[in-house]
Amino acid sequence: MGLRRYIVKRGIDTTITFFIIIIINFLLPRLMPGDPVSRLIGSRVQMSYEERIALLKTYGLDKQLHEQFIIYLSNLLRGDLGVSLSRYPTPVIEVLMYGLPWTILLVGFSTFLAILIGTVLGIISGWRRGGRFDIASLIVALATYSTPVFWIGMLLIFFFAVRIRIFPIGGAFDPEFITFAFSPAYILNVIKHMVLPTIALTLILYGGQYLIVRSSIIETLTEDYILTAYAKGLKESTIMFKHAARNALLPAISYAAIEIGLIVAGAVLTETVFSWPGVGTIIYNAVSDRDYPVIQGAFFIIALSVLLANFIADIVYGVLDPRIRYG
Amino acid sequence: MIKRLKSRGYLITVKRVNTFWSIYRSNRMGMVGLTILLFFIFIAIFADFISPYNPYKFSLNIYAPPSWEHILGTNDVGQDILSELIHGARISLTVGFLAALISTVIGGSIGIFSGYFGRIDSLLMRITDIFIVIPSFPLMILLAAYMGPSINTVIIVIGLLSWPYTARIIRSQVLSLKERVFVESAKVIGASDFYILKSYILPNIMPLLFANAILNVSGAIVSEAGLSFLGLSDVTYKSWGMILYFARIRGGFLKGAYWWFIPPGICITLVVLAFTLVGHALDEVLNPKLRRR
Repeated sequence: MGLRRYIVKRGIDTTITFFIIIIINFLLPRLMPGDPVSRLIGSRVQMSYEERIALLKTYGLDKQLHEQFIIYLSNLLRGDLGVSLSRYPTPVIEVLMYGLPWTILLVGFSTFLAILIGTVLGIISGWRRGGRFDIASLIVALATYSTPVFWIGMLLIFFFAVRIRIFPIGGAFDPEFITFAFSPAYILNVIKHMVLPTIALTLILYGGQYLIVRSSIIETLTEDYILTAYAKGLKESTIMFKHAARNALLPAISYAAIEIGLIVAGAVLTETVFSWPGVGTIIYNAVSDRDYPVIQGAFFIIALSVLLANFIADIVYGVLDPRIRYG
Repeated sequence: MIKRLKSRGYLITVKRVNTFWSIYRSNRMGMVGLTILLFFIFIAIFADFISPYNPYKFSLNIYAPPSWEHILGTNDVGQDILSELIHGARISLTVGFLAALISTVIGGSIGIFSGYFGRIDSLLMRITDIFIVIPSFPLMILLAAYMGPSINTVIIVIGLLSWPYTARIIRSQVLSLKERVFVESAKVIGASDFYILKSYILPNIMPLLFANAILNVSGAIVSEAGLSFLGLSDVTYKSWGMILYFARIRGGFLKGAYWWFIPPGICITLVVLAFTLVGHALDEVLNPKLRRR
């Protein structure tokens, strides 16, 4: 299969999944037990009768299901994901778009760090398999991999924000910056707030990458070309990084795609513990306020991002490793 | 004749179990995991006898630090933390086991049918792939929020959304089993699909399914802790995740009551780690390719 056909095939698969996510998103609030109307537009005391009727019309809730779906799709095309119930009448999309950059900042940076740390430790560990460093880092990785991220977060806050007050206990910036635009002081303040959540998220994410790279290195070391390299009298570090690591890293590239579930769940919980103003904290607040449209919209945005990330990872992998295209 | 065959079969099973055990025993990490696991299962079963206090009973002795009277101290309403932990083991493990049971049954059946019956394979695998891509934790949050906080909801939601990897692994195993000589010859003799599935496929994937179920339990316990921590489970069932939820929202952890929020996290970590170690050890024992070269 050529690269182009491979991309087209992946693109079609992704589009199908995209439509299924839309359908799930449409059906869930309407088919779950209970009253869908109050779930979608709320049943607030302060909402007047006229307002309620207008909302019913906008989202077509007085019509048949298939007609509702058409209205839903056209609303979706205009970026309308409904109205937040707890911050009525703010549109859901506005609530989420405020959080998204914060989430991307935290998750992107932590994932990058986790991949970097996991890869380096994995290469060294796999190379020195059975040695003291290998055993120690394997145990640490397995332990952090099994630890609930919100608990790590609580420990970090307790020790570094409550006991020793070197870092703030939560949020992304101090209150006085809320009206300020970008300035060096603002950026410094954000970095200070970001240290603990980044450590927490990185700690639970690096283990997966570490384990993949480690076993991949071990696998690679049994290959004939490694023996050949030794026979040629090459330096050990040359073999380690030029021969072994290069080939072993291929499977590790798909890490982000494999562990995306862990990344998403980890992000939601980390943000909640640190009150980081991203999508995760928005979800948590929406859950406690029973703000269903926001939870629903957040799920939609997250599912879309994950789908896109998967598609990109597939393409990158296909470009780097021609074998995958024939799979 | 049949009786003799059956008793021979029994002997083979005993022999297999013995070999299995002797290989498993040499896996150090697997043994560590098994020990931790048995310890917590023991605690969960005999919680009523072991726990020093009723974990739900209020007392005036609030925020008491660890002492001989309360080994792990008390919380904001004077409940004994150690007793909470002991009873929490029961809830966390039960939720984990039940949710894993659901996801293993679903994943196992889809894997078997998909692998064995070629006609529905591509459809089932397409569905599986879609479920793999859809981020399950946010969907769990959404469903749990719609259905209201209840322990049953949590079990069902986790079970219904954690099966795709099991389905994939079982399917590939069934695909390779289907090509083996003994299945082919059974087909030639005219054995029905049902008979082949029951007598040849199922017994052969059982070990793999079991190893997978163990890993599913560890995943389910993590998910349960996460959902509880977000306040999406029943507050009257104090699992370890729920204890942490209370420690956070009632401010115990900012007040510095370390004895309240440190132990539950250690328990979760230990149990999840134990399940992971046992699951991987089983995988290694049952899959000779993975054994140390």
